[in-house]
Amino acid sequence: MKVPHIAHDGSEAAEGPDLAGERRATYSRLFWRFVWLTILCSLVPLLLVGWGINLHYSQFARERMLNFLQTQVEDHRKDIERFLSEQTSKLQLIARTHELEQLIKPGSLQTVFELFNQDIRTLTDLGVIAENGYHLAYVGAYDLWARNYSREFWFDQAMQKGIYVSDMFMGFRKEPHFIIAVTHSKGDRKWILRATINTEAFRSLVENVRIGRTGQVYLLNAEGVFQTSARVSGAIMEKSSYPMESYHEGLRTRTLDGLRDAQGRERPRQIACQAWLQDPRWLLVVKQDYDEAFADVNHANTWTLVFLHLSAASILVVTVFITRHMITSIKRRDAEADRLNQQLLQTGKLASIGELSAGVAHEINNPLAIILTERQLLLDAARQTPITDPEFQEQFSDSMNQIDLQVQRCKRITQNLLRFSRRTKSMIEKVDLNGFIQEVVDLMEREARTSGIKFFSEPDLALPPVSSDPSQLQQVFLNLITNAIDAHDGKPYGSIRISTRADAERQMATVKVADAGAGIKPEHLSRIFDPFFTTKAVGKGTGLGLSICFSIVKRLGGSLTVQSEVGKGTEFTIQLPYTPPKELQDSLSTKRSPKPAA
Amino acid sequence: MPGFRVLLVDDETIFTKNISKLLKNRGYEITAVNSGDAAIRELEQNPVDVIVLDLKMPGMDGIATLKEIIKLGLFAETLILTGHGSIDSALEAMKLGAYDYLTKPCEIDELVAKIESAWGKKKEAN
Repeated sequence: MKVPHIAHDGSEAAEGPDLAGERRATYSRLFWRFVWLTILCSLVPLLLVGWGINLHYSQFARERMLNFLQTQVEDHRKDIERFLSEQTSKLQLIARTHELEQLIKPGSLQTVFELFNQDIRTLTDLGVIAENGYHLAYVGAYDLWARNYSREFWFDQAMQKGIYVSDMFMGFRKEPHFIIAVTHSKGDRKWILRATINTEAFRSLVENVRIGRTGQVYLLNAEGVFQTSARVSGAIMEKSSYPMESYHEGLRTRTLDGLRDAQGRERPRQIACQAWLQDPRWLLVVKQDYDEAFADVNHANTWTLVFLHLSAASILVVTVFITRHMITSIKRRDAEADRLNQQLLQTGKLASIGELSAGVAHEINNPLAIILTERQLLLDAARQTPITDPEFQEQFSDSMNQIDLQVQRCKRITQNLLRFSRRTKSMIEKVDLNGFIQEVVDLMEREARTSGIKFFSEPDLALPPVSSDPSQLQQVFLNLITNAIDAHDGKPYGSIRISTRADAERQMATVKVADAGAGIKPEHLSRIFDPFFTTKAVGKGTGLGLSICFSIVKRLGGSLTVQSEVGKGTEFTIQLPYTPPKELQDSLSTKRSPKPAA
Repeated sequence: MPGFRVLLVDDETIFTKNISKLLKNRGYEITAVNSGDAAIRELEQNPVDVIVLDLKMPGMDGIATLKEIIKLGLFAETLILTGHGSIDSALEAMKLGAYDYLTKPCEIDELVAKIESAWGKKKEAN
């Protein structure tokens, strides 16, 4: 059963649809404003700091990685140069310390060759070549004895410069190799000591630095031709796709996009560190896929960002959750404030009407007193001089009775008005509500007996005595029970249920007075606490009873609410604090001794 | 005949006139005045046994009049008559020494009963 609930609490049901909609919009705006503000104040700094630290760390890590790479390249360049310089020096030493005749003596060059290759097979072959380009002596696996080198590119260079280290070339042996040629002259004779460096040994030396899974180390000549094979980029003597730069001192680090491997496939972005060798002018290139080089940094970056965004997301969720909770609290507070405002309004209305009523009542009482005395004078006069006309006598008697009746009616109205406005000296005493209510019920039950109405009491025995004003409470219960009896008007039977309930947590007692009467129409519900509002027949009610109840309960620090359904009945609920408000206590003398009932 | 004097003090002249008539009809000796000052003047000259005193009057009100009466040291019982319905002032008057109170409008029989009762008290006191 859906019971409309009007509780003077300013609840939404009592508001118009426009007002409710506007409120919802306000709460929604407030919600989003809080959310955005919290995000602005928490997420933005978090993200700024997070991204800042991440950026800083990335740069730091990249610089460290590049420094490491550059150190490796620099060390390696020095190793290669040292190797070539050692080989050249050895050849020069041999050329200077050996007479040509001694060198070309059978077996002599062989001894030198073997000494060269004693530890590592550094040389592939070794030859002494005369000015005319023919071998004077040769040690090696190739059939080169009859070859004439005078027209070879390196021959002239060696003759002119004295020392010459060639690029890789195919030569007569038709396989990639490079040579170191040292020219020595004695008197008018000039000869060249030429050594072919073991390509594999040299390649091992060059590649003797391991950089990751995708790392490559190779040498290019000034034209960009591979001087050692690269693992992926290309084979020895092939033209490289590496973008060549002119000679520069020191190291240079480059990021390369769009390079192709030997098969022409495009390579992913790469990081390369390059350094030119002094002699020969070869470019040492150490390359690695960019992603692999910075894998650790990228990994760390990814996780940092993941954590950062997870934190941001959790803040977002918590923000929404907290804001929603906050808005709910605000809504509750607003509803409470509305309710209090409504009660304040009602109390104010009652107070001002009370002031007015007191004045009106007093002004009416005096004329009423005069009317009564006038009536009494007429009655006295009629007694002294009896009326002889029976018809007039009857009329006179009726009129006198009616005057008395109407004066009594007016008196009742003014007394109600005065009671409504009364600021009587109340007493705060300990009241056992269960016993107190039972006494009121006993009193009323006698009056209601003839109307067939039964009373049911459901006392909560756990209810402790409350500190309140028994005389005012008596008035409240009398009014409510009188109303409950009146609500059965026209019904041959009925019931009134009075229950009490203790709420120890809130320190409140709840008293419900429920009838099975006619109920109150929804349009009347919101007005029933207004003074002078009544649905009773003219002359039967002043419309002040519930207003008085409302103001009394309010004054005692409690609340009075109503639920009703037409045809089913009405239930009044009184919430009364165990102890009255401090201001009431201060304004009243408090009697300590318990008193069970009035 | 009751044989005692009653003074009625009320600013409503018609009311005092009517009550006077009614009480006279019932054999009481009654004097009516319409203000506190007049009451004091009357009492100074002609002491009474029972005073019926309205609380709300222009000028000297019922409480002030009562205080003055007490000052005069008259042995008269005072009945308070109030149109205000509020019993607060009536109770205050009783604390000062008034015998009882009545609220307007009241039946003449009720007033007569109270006056008799007050006279009874006065007689007891004497």
